[in-house]
Amino acid sequence: MSQKRGTKRPGPSQVQYMDVDEEDTLSQTPTSSQVQHNVQRLSQSQMEAKVHELVFFLLVKDQKKIPIKRADILKHVVKDYKNVFTELLKRANQNLQQVFGMELVEIDPKHHTYILISKLPHLERESSKEDENTPKMGLLLVILSLIFMKGNVAKECKFPATPAQPTSLLPSVPNPPLLLSLPLAAVWEVLRRLRVDPGEKHKIFGDVKKLVTEEFVRQKYLEYNRLPHTDPPEFEFRWGPRAIKETSKKQILQFVSKMQNKDPTFWTNQYNEAEAEGSSAGGR
Amino acid sequence: MEEAGGSGGSDRRSRGRRSSAGPRYSRAGRSSFGQNRGGDDGAERNGEEEAGAGEGDRDDGDETTRRRLLRQQYRELITVVQKNREMMLSTRNDKLTEALEDANKLFIGVSRAREAALDAQFLVLASNLGKEKASQLHSDMTVFDPSAFAEDLLSFMGLNRLEGDESDSDNEQLASGFLPSNAWHKLGEEAKKYFRRTPTFHFMLGTFTADPPVQRPRIERQQKRAGPAERRAMPAQLKKMEESHQEATEKEVERILGILLSFFRDDPNDPISFLEFVTDPDSFARTVENMFHVSFLIRDGLARIKLDQYKLPIIEPLNPEEGENNQDTQARKQAVISMSYKEWQNIVKTFEISQPMIPPATQATT
Repeated sequence: MSQKRGTKRPGPSQVQYMDVDEEDTLSQTPTSSQVQHNVQRLSQSQMEAKVHELVFFLLVKDQKKIPIKRADILKHVVKDYKNVFTELLKRANQNLQQVFGMELVEIDPKHHTYILISKLPHLERESSKEDENTPKMGLLLVILSLIFMKGNVAKECKFPATPAQPTSLLPSVPNPPLLLSLPLAAVWEVLRRLRVDPGEKHKIFGDVKKLVTEEFVRQKYLEYNRLPHTDPPEFEFRWGPRAIKETSKKQILQFVSKMQNKDPTFWTNQYNEAEAEGSSAGGR
Repeated sequence: MEEAGGSGGSDRRSRGRRSSAGPRYSRAGRSSFGQNRGGDDGAERNGEEEAGAGEGDRDDGDETTRRRLLRQQYRELITVVQKNREMMLSTRNDKLTEALEDANKLFIGVSRAREAALDAQFLVLASNLGKEKASQLHSDMTVFDPSAFAEDLLSFMGLNRLEGDESDSDNEQLASGFLPSNAWHKLGEEAKKYFRRTPTFHFMLGTFTADPPVQRPRIERQQKRAGPAERRAMPAQLKKMEESHQEATEKEVERILGILLSFFRDDPNDPISFLEFVTDPDSFARTVENMFHVSFLIRDGLARIKLDQYKLPIIEPLNPEEGENNQDTQARKQAVISMSYKEWQNIVKTFEISQPMIPPATQATT
């Protein structure tokens, strides 16, 4: 589809660009003045068409919620407009914000992947349509809540005697890291209570283990890692970069408070942490 | 709570190591608890008296200096800890454990009761701080209870605890009750409020997945499957049909020749009417077929057709040898015989044919 769309722009030099490694061409990022100069050489309509194409591409790509790679954008949309890529991205982002109320965010500065997040508050009414992702979001929220609320603590009491600790006597635990982690087993323990068992096929989620450890991970909602030096291997969950962008500790705490019918300040530590995050992120 | 447990553990440990100095701890601790420098002095004096009484004779200069240094270090440590009480109590650092570690190092050099008393004094101070730290930790961190959270989630999802679900009753850990089928949808709707997730759009003309259609492998498979099968089946079928067709015609021609010869042998002098021979009164189609087969006999020179006195065609078989001669001598003629349905009907009527001379092939063969 995208390739077909690509044919409408003039592209005699297309082939020669395609052969060049994407990362290479972009590593020599042109300065903004160079970009401006390049932009001026293109007609207004050429730029506009390209921006629209990019917006469309991003919207379609976002459907699966798998982060969009810059390499894919370059390959399928930008093609021989690489010299104005930053400008295209900027304008596409403007379009997304003004027209769709979304924002393009880079979640992995190393591999250059992007996601779209909503800038608009959630509307009660829009939830009328049933969509297969709705229950999944419920499950995800439960897992994120567990990671945040139970976080490190669960990890520590789960493994009280790792061999290194008794000899050194003084475990020098640094301040809790920003991303809390939770062992896989602790997550399943709670999910089983909610009648979601990783060993059984769930009537809504199907293969729950696959959903949680693969789909959510690919979408970057969760990070799923093997704990070092564990035999049999133990795994742990962390918040993924998409979760950090799409929600916040404060939001999660609010959810938990609502469910448990308590004030957020009830969990002082989590509350302080959420507040600290909120103020450092400029408040949400 | 866990952290508190950790420092408690280290306290206990240090106590264990110093068990040799055990009896003095309570006294020294009591005197120093809640006091300042004065307390230290008291304990020191106390220790000095005892040490002097017991071991005065073995004092050499070197040892004395070493012990003095040790005592000074202990006092310093105690002062530092007391001065930085707030910092020690903070949950953000491990100053208290660091201090304990330092004390442990000092204790290696302790050989006399006086230094041991100082160590005990520090330990009491540290334990008190540890206790305080633990209680502070307890108050500012309400432990999150995942199972209570799960119960609340189930309630939110609309769990009906009165209606028992039989399948779940075998596991006592799980809350029993009936969970409606839209439970996760309900939670999902709530969950959406906490995410800044972009909505997925849907297509006005029916569903259309964002995935590219998986047509490719299907096409390939079809081609693969169809290709060899066609090649294999088609020629085989054709060959068979041709063969069988040829065979059938040949067989039929031979059969008719046999019938003709048997009629001829029965009465060689009575000429066989071609029309009577060929015509099947029950079937026009079979009549035409018979004529077709007879034509092969004529072509191969196994029979010939001639007109009798009434100008009606008669058929007679030819001796192959004779035929060969004839073939050479006589010029062969071609003739086309047409027969319509009406003509066939007339023939049947005129010749009063009631039974075919050539019985139908199916009857004959089977």
